[in-house]
Amino acid sequence: MASTDCSCRGMHRRAFLADLGMGFTGLALAAMLHRDGWVRAADPTGWRPPDGKPHFPPKAKSVIWLFMNGGVSHLETFDPKPALLQYAGKSINETPFKDVQNPDKLKLARVVVLNDANGQQRNKLFPMQVGFQKSGQSGIEISDWLPHLRECVDDIAVIRSMYTTDDNHGAQTQFHTGRHMLDGEFPTLGAWVHYGLGSLNDNLPQFISMGKREYWNLKDGHYLGPAHDAVPIRVDPNNPLDYGKPERPLKADEQRLGFQLTDRLNRLRGVEYPDDPALSARIQSYELAFRMQKSLPEVLDFSQETEETKQLYGLDRPETREFGMQLLASRRLVERGVRFIQIQHGAGGAGIWDAHGGLKANHEKNCLAVDKPIAGLLKDLKRTGLLKETIVVFATEFGRTPGSQGRDGRDHHIYGFSVWMAGGGIKGGVVHGATDEIGFHAVEHRHYVTDVHATILHLLGLDSRKLEVPGRKRLDIDHGNVIREILA
Amino acid sequence: MLSLSARNGHDPPAEMVPAMRPACLVVLLLFVTETQAAEPVAVDYRRDIRPVLAERCYACHGALAQKAKLRVDSGANMLKAGVIVPGKPDDSPLLLRVSSDDEAVRMPPEGHPLKPEQIEMLRRWIEQGAKVPEDDAEEPDPRDHWAFRSVVRPELPNVQSDHLPMRNPIDRFIAYEWQRRGLVPVKPADPRILLRRVYLDLIGLPPTPEQIEAFLNDPRPDAYERVVAALLSSPHYGERWGRHFLDIWRYSEWWGLGDELRNSQRHIWHWRDWVVESLNNDVGYDEMIRQMLAADELYPTDPQKLRATGYLARPYFLFNRTTWLDEVIEHTGKGFLGLTLNCGKCHDHKYDPFTQNDYYSYRAIFEPYQIRTDLVPGEPDVMKNGIPRVFDANLDAKTFFHIRGDERNPDKDRDIKPGLPRFLAPNGLAITPVALPPEAYQPLRRPEIAETYRKPLAARLQEARNRLLSLELAVAPAGFPFTLGVVLAYQGMLKVEAEQARLEAAIADPSKAPGEYRGTVKTKESNLDSDPQAKPLPETSTGRRSALAKWMTDPSNPLTARVAVNHVWLRHFGKPLVPTIFEFGRRGQPPTHPELLDWLAAEFMAHGWSLKHLHRLIVTSSVYRLSSWQAGTENNLRIDPENRYLWRMNSTRMEAEVVRDSLLHLAGELDPTQGGPPVPMAQQETSRRRSLYLFHSHNDHNKFLETFDAPNVLECYRRTESIVPQQALALWNSKFAMTMAEKILDRLHQRQADADDAAFVKAAFEMILGVPPSGEELSVCLETLEELRKVLADVPDAERTRRARFQIVQALLNHNDFITVR
Repeated sequence: MASTDCSCRGMHRRAFLADLGMGFTGLALAAMLHRDGWVRAADPTGWRPPDGKPHFPPKAKSVIWLFMNGGVSHLETFDPKPALLQYAGKSINETPFKDVQNPDKLKLARVVVLNDANGQQRNKLFPMQVGFQKSGQSGIEISDWLPHLRECVDDIAVIRSMYTTDDNHGAQTQFHTGRHMLDGEFPTLGAWVHYGLGSLNDNLPQFISMGKREYWNLKDGHYLGPAHDAVPIRVDPNNPLDYGKPERPLKADEQRLGFQLTDRLNRLRGVEYPDDPALSARIQSYELAFRMQKSLPEVLDFSQETEETKQLYGLDRPETREFGMQLLASRRLVERGVRFIQIQHGAGGAGIWDAHGGLKANHEKNCLAVDKPIAGLLKDLKRTGLLKETIVVFATEFGRTPGSQGRDGRDHHIYGFSVWMAGGGIKGGVVHGATDEIGFHAVEHRHYVTDVHATILHLLGLDSRKLEVPGRKRLDIDHGNVIREILA
Repeated sequence: MLSLSARNGHDPPAEMVPAMRPACLVVLLLFVTETQAAEPVAVDYRRDIRPVLAERCYACHGALAQKAKLRVDSGANMLKAGVIVPGKPDDSPLLLRVSSDDEAVRMPPEGHPLKPEQIEMLRRWIEQGAKVPEDDAEEPDPRDHWAFRSVVRPELPNVQSDHLPMRNPIDRFIAYEWQRRGLVPVKPADPRILLRRVYLDLIGLPPTPEQIEAFLNDPRPDAYERVVAALLSSPHYGERWGRHFLDIWRYSEWWGLGDELRNSQRHIWHWRDWVVESLNNDVGYDEMIRQMLAADELYPTDPQKLRATGYLARPYFLFNRTTWLDEVIEHTGKGFLGLTLNCGKCHDHKYDPFTQNDYYSYRAIFEPYQIRTDLVPGEPDVMKNGIPRVFDANLDAKTFFHIRGDERNPDKDRDIKPGLPRFLAPNGLAITPVALPPEAYQPLRRPEIAETYRKPLAARLQEARNRLLSLELAVAPAGFPFTLGVVLAYQGMLKVEAEQARLEAAIADPSKAPGEYRGTVKTKESNLDSDPQAKPLPETSTGRRSALAKWMTDPSNPLTARVAVNHVWLRHFGKPLVPTIFEFGRRGQPPTHPELLDWLAAEFMAHGWSLKHLHRLIVTSSVYRLSSWQAGTENNLRIDPENRYLWRMNSTRMEAEVVRDSLLHLAGELDPTQGGPPVPMAQQETSRRRSLYLFHSHNDHNKFLETFDAPNVLECYRRTESIVPQQALALWNSKFAMTMAEKILDRLHQRQADADDAAFVKAAFEMILGVPPSGEELSVCLETLEELRKVLADVPDAERTRRARFQIVQALLNHNDFITVR
């Protein structure tokens, strides 16, 4: 896509990176080099890359980002609308809510695919497909498909007033970057966090992704550079990451001696090129690689976890096992100081939650797959004290239409939907914002997707305006606004 | 050994809340102190005021535009207009306007208001008398910007250097700056280093030990020049530099969702092959531009040249024509002209004399074009092969001015004509419609295309006849000539005969050829295009694109040649002369060596825009042959730490493709086959083709190459040179790297079957790094071999040495100076 960020500002940062002959690494090498005095700003404006320190005291240090691909129906999860039962089968125009389709109110949508089969307004109101119960001290209503999450409701802040602008699955990208896909490609939230914050563990990548990534949402760093892409891992201690172990068997000492030889030879070369920052960086990156290769399998080995813990995450049941493994791995990663863990649930094609038809069966199954693992994660983080310093986010690209698509589905819906957040610095047991009576428009405390980003960065102690890089002007909408009402 | 001392003596990079508090307090205190103490400090116009006005106000009230007849680009202009009253901030309209709470009044009208501290600074400046330096002057006329003035070949500086021979004018321009700045160049590079550098630079493959040997033993004074000549005539040159230009021109195989093509085109590799061939044949860069933008108008019946228009087939986007054309505008602007035309999409350009209207006029040049795939002889199925190319499909397509850049809001009253910004093309764009020869819009007229349809039909007909005959023979003895099988076979034959008749009718009158026999298949214009073959192909082309190409490649165009030599220079020296590669406008940075840039551009044009001429000049200069060594250059480092003035060579990192290709080459495994369809993802792991030929799109890219910063297909004017641990893991652990290390080991052993460890290490260094080991390096390697043998004590004797030496090969492939071009 065209990059219409209209930076109009030259390209100091790129020049800077290239002039240094290096980029910065997936293991926060930037911060390490800075710490060790290797970074020299070549930028004529005197701009410098972030030093890895928060801009103000943080409330949290890590993020677990759970993203549901395809679009979760807010109406069957976190935003009950009894009016849908009352007016089920009626055209919106025959109800007191007909004004929701006033064209002025539909201007948000930036259409990518003209006259697409999906992403249209659906007029015939479709009843909620599941019941809701009040739960916890707070009495927040959560659907019957999420019984385990209900037990954690007092720890989460539900935001019922999200909106976005891409009525197609580019909204997946949009929720990560804050930009519509027609605007081009931009760094994701995880990349910004990785760019802005230093490493808490020099043996592990600081930005990790799990779950398949496809089409809409392939990369993170974009103009910040590939060094700020998430490192994809598999929850498999024998094969956790690409190139994570030699393709043909070597003795551990054999490879150690080889690595060591490279290191010694590079250091000898360093005498000849004393001011070569690339050489210094490469020496460090090899050391990190060697340690990473050893430490990741250990993190992903669950043999030390109790059966009770494994069950808590649903590892004992086939329907919850895969997601549960990823979430247990996430806890072990944040425990060791990994900054940002990005988990895609059901990516591939349009995304598994994309219930244009058969919404009931689809959502019941998908909710089952994630409910127990997520509740398990929240409980486990809480009892280990990690929840205080970890932000857990449950997000999705958009909601689903109050009207039915076909006989029993719901279409994409950008005007109002729900996400929730929990953990470090977030107030538990609150509902923030609201949609109208039929769950169409967010009407109270409306939030664009970047408000979630702003809130997270704020809790991590980062000011996104201070992270801006020369030549890449960001707009107000990119920065978003902190959702103060849900801060503890 | 691998302990990391980096943490010692340093604070952890991020602390949790309690630990941060004191630090935060300090910051607050500092802030308070600063504002209190700042009061008496005099405001400096040039430091504090002018940059703010330039950033936020000059676009409308400067040299570019004078809205409300106001200019604020000098103290005198502001005083004259009465927008500031020295000493009286509250009577100064400028301050009142920028600080107003009323959005209708507040300036600037777009974007954020000025920051409070900026407003405060303005207030104090006015309070303190609104002083400006004596030499304060208004902005110069934007048309006088250096890059917008024609290229004039500058005089060569009269300079001698005690340090280096002045081999060609490049040396003179560079040496002139050394002398001016008190820089002393480093020594020339070691011949082995130089040889490796120029091999990797020109063909993307390192020299073999034999080639190094031959060069070192060549006593002729022009031994190096001979190597350069040989490399430039190697077919690998086109592959190496083709990849560079494909970066700039955003080469990408097609991608979409599943089988649905959404971006670029199938068989776009024909364009890639055209690039490689054109470079190898030293087709002028100007001619390459003309062919890429308009071969369909300039050479409408030349399929070889039509491949070039793949350049414009690449930005295809199924869902949105505006996005598609925005990309064409942005990247023809950035890539060929060094102009950020894209900034004019929503508003007038803020820095260059380029209006929003100009943006849409420029778009109109491309508005009529669409894409079709022409058959290649012998393949009637365009899903299997064919040449994606452009043509003007909609001669009357209107271009609309999008109000604020919003395509949903076209200005129906504005008539947008194809054109160029006046400051660059004062005489406008000379457009002449092109009458196309009939074979161009009726490719079926080409005998080889008619044959391409005929042949498979004839085969099918023969097959149907045979089938019928054999069935008839089989049933004949039974006396029932009309079994169901025979009837069906007969009908089948009639069907093929009917098809054949249709084809022959089409060949007889190609103007009536149905969609399936046109010899070309049009690509959907959008997802709403249900019948792309419905319209006949036009008999004329608007001539807009060839007019653009002609203007772009006219020697009087100030930008094209300058931008091109800068692209080339960047890739030889690792740094461009104009740091802002795609921004030569007023917002860009000036060249480090303006005269050199102009001299190169003039020389380039004078020699038929020959890239090989340019390469030869550059790589045979003395400057190019300098070492990248920097020890003992404290004086230079103090004066020019960034090496902007090239007192040494820059070290660069191999591009992804060079890493992979070099491994293949050293292992003796490289498959030199050139051109053709890309290697599909599933075969890449075992493919031995050059990396240029691996399927590479936005969605699909080779994992190994990606680890080393393969080009971003959306925009790649300069490769990223990241250094990440995943690269170390890929070079150590991947099946590919380990297999190549194994083969390299085999080759070393084949050369010297009975080599002792020292001879082996020496040979390995020379093969992999291109230089022999120092004494210390040798002993470190020998030591490691000993240790390895101990670790491998339980390995059978016959294998032990091999296993140990394998680690040496791997360690050298992971050596900094393998991946680094010194």
